[in-house]
Amino acid sequence: MIAEPRAQPPQARGTLRGDAVAAHRSRSQRLGAAQLLDWLAVTYLVLVVLAALAAEYLPGLAAPTASVGEFSQAPTLTVNGLLGTDALGRSIFSRVIYGARASLAVACIATAISLTLGLALGMLAGFYRGLIERIVDLYANTVASLPPILLILGLVAATGPSLFTITASLGILGIGTYARITKGGVIAQAEREYVLAARALGAKDSRILTLELLPNLLPTLTSVVPPLMAGLIVTEGSLSFLGYGIPPPTPSWGGMIAGSTDLLNRFPLLIFGPILAIVLTVFSLNTVGDRLARRISLREGQL
Amino acid sequence: MSDPDAPLLDVEDLSCDIDTPVGVARVLRNVSLRLAQGRTLGLVGESGSGKSMLIKSILDLAPRAARVTGRVMFEGVELTGMRAAERRKFVGRRVGVVLQNPMTSLNPVVHVGRQIEESARYHLKLSKAQAREVAIDLMARVGLPDPRDSYSHYPHQFSGGMKQRVTIAAALACEPDLLIADEATTALDVTVQKDILDLLQMIQEERRMSMILVTHNLGIVAGRTDEVAVMYGGRIVETARTNALFRSPRHRYTDALLAAMPRADHAAHTTLRTIAGQPPDPLQPLAGCPFAPRCPVAEARCADSMPPTTFEAADARAFACYVPRTLVAPPPAEVH
Amino acid sequence: MRSTRVLYLRAVGLRLLAGVPVFVLVTFAATALSDLMPGSAAQTILGDSATPQQIATLNAQYGYDQPLLVRYVGWLGRLLRGDLGQTLYSQQSVFGLLLERAAVTFEIALLAMLVALAIAIPLAMLSALAPGGPLDQLVRGVSSVMLSVPIFVTVVVLGFIFALVLRWLPATGWIALTSDPLGNLRQVALPVMCISVSQAAYFYRVTRNEIVATLQEDFVLLARAKGIPTAYILLRHVLRPSLTPVLAVFGLSMTYLLGGSFIVESYFAVPGIGWTLLSAVKIHDLPTVQGILSVVVVVYVLVFMLVDIGYSVIDPRIEIA
Repeated sequence: MIAEPRAQPPQARGTLRGDAVAAHRSRSQRLGAAQLLDWLAVTYLVLVVLAALAAEYLPGLAAPTASVGEFSQAPTLTVNGLLGTDALGRSIFSRVIYGARASLAVACIATAISLTLGLALGMLAGFYRGLIERIVDLYANTVASLPPILLILGLVAATGPSLFTITASLGILGIGTYARITKGGVIAQAEREYVLAARALGAKDSRILTLELLPNLLPTLTSVVPPLMAGLIVTEGSLSFLGYGIPPPTPSWGGMIAGSTDLLNRFPLLIFGPILAIVLTVFSLNTVGDRLARRISLREGQL
Repeated sequence: MSDPDAPLLDVEDLSCDIDTPVGVARVLRNVSLRLAQGRTLGLVGESGSGKSMLIKSILDLAPRAARVTGRVMFEGVELTGMRAAERRKFVGRRVGVVLQNPMTSLNPVVHVGRQIEESARYHLKLSKAQAREVAIDLMARVGLPDPRDSYSHYPHQFSGGMKQRVTIAAALACEPDLLIADEATTALDVTVQKDILDLLQMIQEERRMSMILVTHNLGIVAGRTDEVAVMYGGRIVETARTNALFRSPRHRYTDALLAAMPRADHAAHTTLRTIAGQPPDPLQPLAGCPFAPRCPVAEARCADSMPPTTFEAADARAFACYVPRTLVAPPPAEVH
Repeated sequence: MRSTRVLYLRAVGLRLLAGVPVFVLVTFAATALSDLMPGSAAQTILGDSATPQQIATLNAQYGYDQPLLVRYVGWLGRLLRGDLGQTLYSQQSVFGLLLERAAVTFEIALLAMLVALAIAIPLAMLSALAPGGPLDQLVRGVSSVMLSVPIFVTVVVLGFIFALVLRWLPATGWIALTSDPLGNLRQVALPVMCISVSQAAYFYRVTRNEIVATLQEDFVLLARAKGIPTAYILLRHVLRPSLTPVLAVFGLSMTYLLGGSFIVESYFAVPGIGWTLLSAVKIHDLPTVQGILSVVVVVYVLVFMLVDIGYSVIDPRIEIA
């Protein structure tokens, strides 16, 4: 029992070992790579937001409608030629940045609408239950029964494409999702002791809602916002692709892709810019959302 | 390759280290034990002493992140170094396993008949009909009512005790030479525990199987085992014939364990003795005896270096302790 | 003790009932939308050169001059009699049109799902056997990226590769399955590919996580202890319990596909429900729009009901009530 273990031939390993502890060697590498990815995603998003906000002040960046050179040129190492030029000689890079402005504006404003109204309605529905809950459920189910893009498509077909229409409809349709999530969170939290304690102390409902419940709902909500925003960007992109989205001359990623499809066989690189932008943005938002979600589940697990 | 005089199971210097996010856990340290044919071994220890990991390491079921070193021989055949698939096939045919929680040991979406017979079907190459008969026969053997009907029932249709009988039946399908019951009765009601243990004992006697009963409950090993091995902190601290161990333990931990047992011959309102302190942390193993921090008579050298193993052939005993108990009767229990 | 049959019927009935208000809301909204259009539908049909009398006559004929509620109730009434009306321009039966087009979309959706499952499940199993290993990391990374690619990007890229560059597949058009199966297969390939790419990524993710969890169960440990081969354990013991969430995802996906496939359909000029809806919306063909929306909502309710029932089939422990 006390002798040193002899040198042994390597143990034959089985293959059916699906357990959660990762293989020893690559674990530290894996954690490092995942963290790096998360930070890259955040950096990219920050850059995109800054670029979109300060587009006019970026040195050397041409206006999205200005012609900067030959038609459909391949990417060069100049500021304006970074992603090439489109069929009308405009800088794709510039149009991508201004397109970011449009997409992000739609996504952010719509999210703001959905989040505030959804949060309010969800809290009321989860706290008071009864009729409000029925209404909120009905609304959420109705909205969920059709892809939002269909409903907006119909609306835009009827009233014509406009930034306002799209943003407002996305905002209103999104209320259901946030309301449902909030409601679920409130119902789960309402059973917990700190709420009962607050009630026992005679706190008013509004106080309980804002000071006790809300802070505990925020982590879940924040982890859900990035992927939902990514969904909005995709929806807006799809609408623009079909011609029912952001109206020209404002550049939009979906519109840029749609506009280049005719010329693909001769100038395939035309779509590279907007595709890269949209995929990177959606991917980064999803990654950030994943990271936040993991953080929360770790915290909850420790309770 | 098989040696008829060799012990059924021969574990030599088995160690197991597991890589965790916070360091390397030394779960097993230089464990050696032997089990002869037809004998029953009780493997006793607290939670975290490494007894389940010992079983898993012997059967090559340790988690991915575990590194196992040492030698395991079964019926004279060396298992370590065998290719994984070969080893699994060899061991699966000869060793039956019963786990602790009958609720989770059975696949909820597969009917029990199949779960009982599948080992036999595969290893013994039985046909569907033959396997079915074997399963029904086993179900009757372990005391399940209406085997022909119950064959196609699902696990959730059985009670806890019945489920455990199902797992025992499944473990016996290939007529194994060794049955390992890892805390097989811990999750059951006390009345059912006795029935299950009696069943295991009866089957063992019938088939002259060897058996390992893994438990934290000394009461279980008392009348039902030939030998006992006591584990603490990943090491085996003492092994001996059961009667000898109970009559006069040598290692201090065994002594403390026995003293903590409530006994029928204690007077009413006897204060139960506990063992002060915490179990050892596998992430920070001591150089010396793992029980040293909690031992009432530990000396300085106990924590510094691992005591050498002392053998006492009379009781087939082996223990590692610098200050073992002398062979006297245990102190009388305190009475209030 | 109620018989299982009664329980099943009750469950089905309740779910169908819950779908009714949703149905009413959606179809009512569709009717209301037509009010927002500039000019009337009649004007759109007759064109710019129509005289006010012609417009008025057409309006009266179709009932467009009546208030919203009346129009809606009228439509609902006809619906309950089985009459979905006729398309605005070609006077074709909406019902007949729907059947024709729905069959196309259904074929594509079903094939896409099957392809996605065929790719996702084996990959998920392989990944789950070595979580954190190189294959797992690679496939997970790829699937994350694929989930971030919008469908309209996928159609452009895949269309480019397969139709323009490699010229293996036709870019547009449709050949009915009944008339020429092989030709149909060539037409269906691109749409199916595009849809199955993101579906596969989604299924893969869900299945992989579920299998990893199942593999940690005691009964898998026991099965390994019995010495049974890995493949058997995977197929007979692991797969079935892991499929439950896949079923839910499957159900959800089907519903979205039926309505949301129009990007794929319009790009590849495939005459399915989505493309029909798109065209109908463009030309303000209200009867068709309402017909399609009704069908989509009904399918949604049915699919969710089937998913619920499916749960209890896969896992005998789950009761339907």
